[in-house]
Amino acid sequence: MTQGVVIFAFNNEQVDYLAMAAWSAARIHRHLNLPVTVITDVEDAKRTSVFDQVVLTDPPQTQQTRYFYDYETSAVWHNLNRSSVHDLSPYDRTLVLDADYVVASDQLKLLFDIDQDFLAHRYAHEVTGYPPFGDNNWFGVYRMPMSWATVMCFRKSQTAKLIFDTMQMIRDHWDHYRQLYYISESTYRNDHALSIAMNTADGHCLSTPSIPWSLSTVTSKTTLTQLGPDTYRVDYCNPDDKPGWIILDQQDFHAMGKRSLGAIVANTR
Amino acid sequence: MDTNELISHSRARFSHHQARLNLKEKYQAKMTFAYRGGMWCAGPNLQSTLLTCSGTQAVILDLYETPIQIDTQELLALSQQRWQEQMTAWLVEFETLNQNR
Repeated sequence: MTQGVVIFAFNNEQVDYLAMAAWSAARIHRHLNLPVTVITDVEDAKRTSVFDQVVLTDPPQTQQTRYFYDYETSAVWHNLNRSSVHDLSPYDRTLVLDADYVVASDQLKLLFDIDQDFLAHRYAHEVTGYPPFGDNNWFGVYRMPMSWATVMCFRKSQTAKLIFDTMQMIRDHWDHYRQLYYISESTYRNDHALSIAMNTADGHCLSTPSIPWSLSTVTSKTTLTQLGPDTYRVDYCNPDDKPGWIILDQQDFHAMGKRSLGAIVANTR
Repeated sequence: MDTNELISHSRARFSHHQARLNLKEKYQAKMTFAYRGGMWCAGPNLQSTLLTCSGTQAVILDLYETPIQIDTQELLALSQQRWQEQMTAWLVEFETLNQNR
């Protein structure tokens, strides 16, 4: 059974996701010792030796924008084809990571030992505690449980196919599902679609298996700096506007602040 | 990093409280391990359960509520080893954090 990691990288006018994916691929090789495939529309990716495979595909057709707090501007957000990973992945067992997920340990290796067809994080937390993140673990007026699409581990199976097909159906009829679940945000998010899809595929029993630890998150309202190969400092302001900092050492995390991460990636080249 | 960010950076104080919470999240994740196709969380709960099993063979539920046939002594040894390895690493990191100001 083949195993590997897949990263989606569709650049926009603000963020060079392909550079992030390349930076991340080197870290994945070092910590997880797994091949990395990038799914992108940038032909130059084939010249980057860090990827084991490059899957070229058209960018999702969208004008959907997202506000990037750290850049203080909106940009087109090419996030609509994540659900095609079941067909595009060359592996029997695939770990799908966001390009801005920082691998700093071998913790994710454990996911391949779990005998489940599909896994994602059920809970996420903010490493600085500010802003409080708890409410993000539910969505909509009915407070449906969130499943985070940042890290997904699946094996090619009927269950995984059903979840991804359902995600596509939700994406294609987003306005309907948005109203059904009373989601205030108009922007399509893979997290919402995955949450609804996993719950639907589970017969609405709210008992879907999940990754047995919480997703560490660093929001875009913080400043991230790299102190060592796997050590990062996170600067933030608490509600009293007092600056504080913490250290993340050999701990994986989702870096939502693309600007800070982009600077780290640029400095590593 | 611009001048304002540099000033803010130098005035910032290390958050011991938040660092401790973070360490807890980090090491709780590291307590998870695989054995005989099941997933387990090393620690007192699992070890107490194993100590209530009278024989060397037993069937218990893993983290995913899947019944798994296990060798109680084997799983107990694995759990104790991982638990103490990770607790020791936790302590080392905790003491290093306490030196931060």
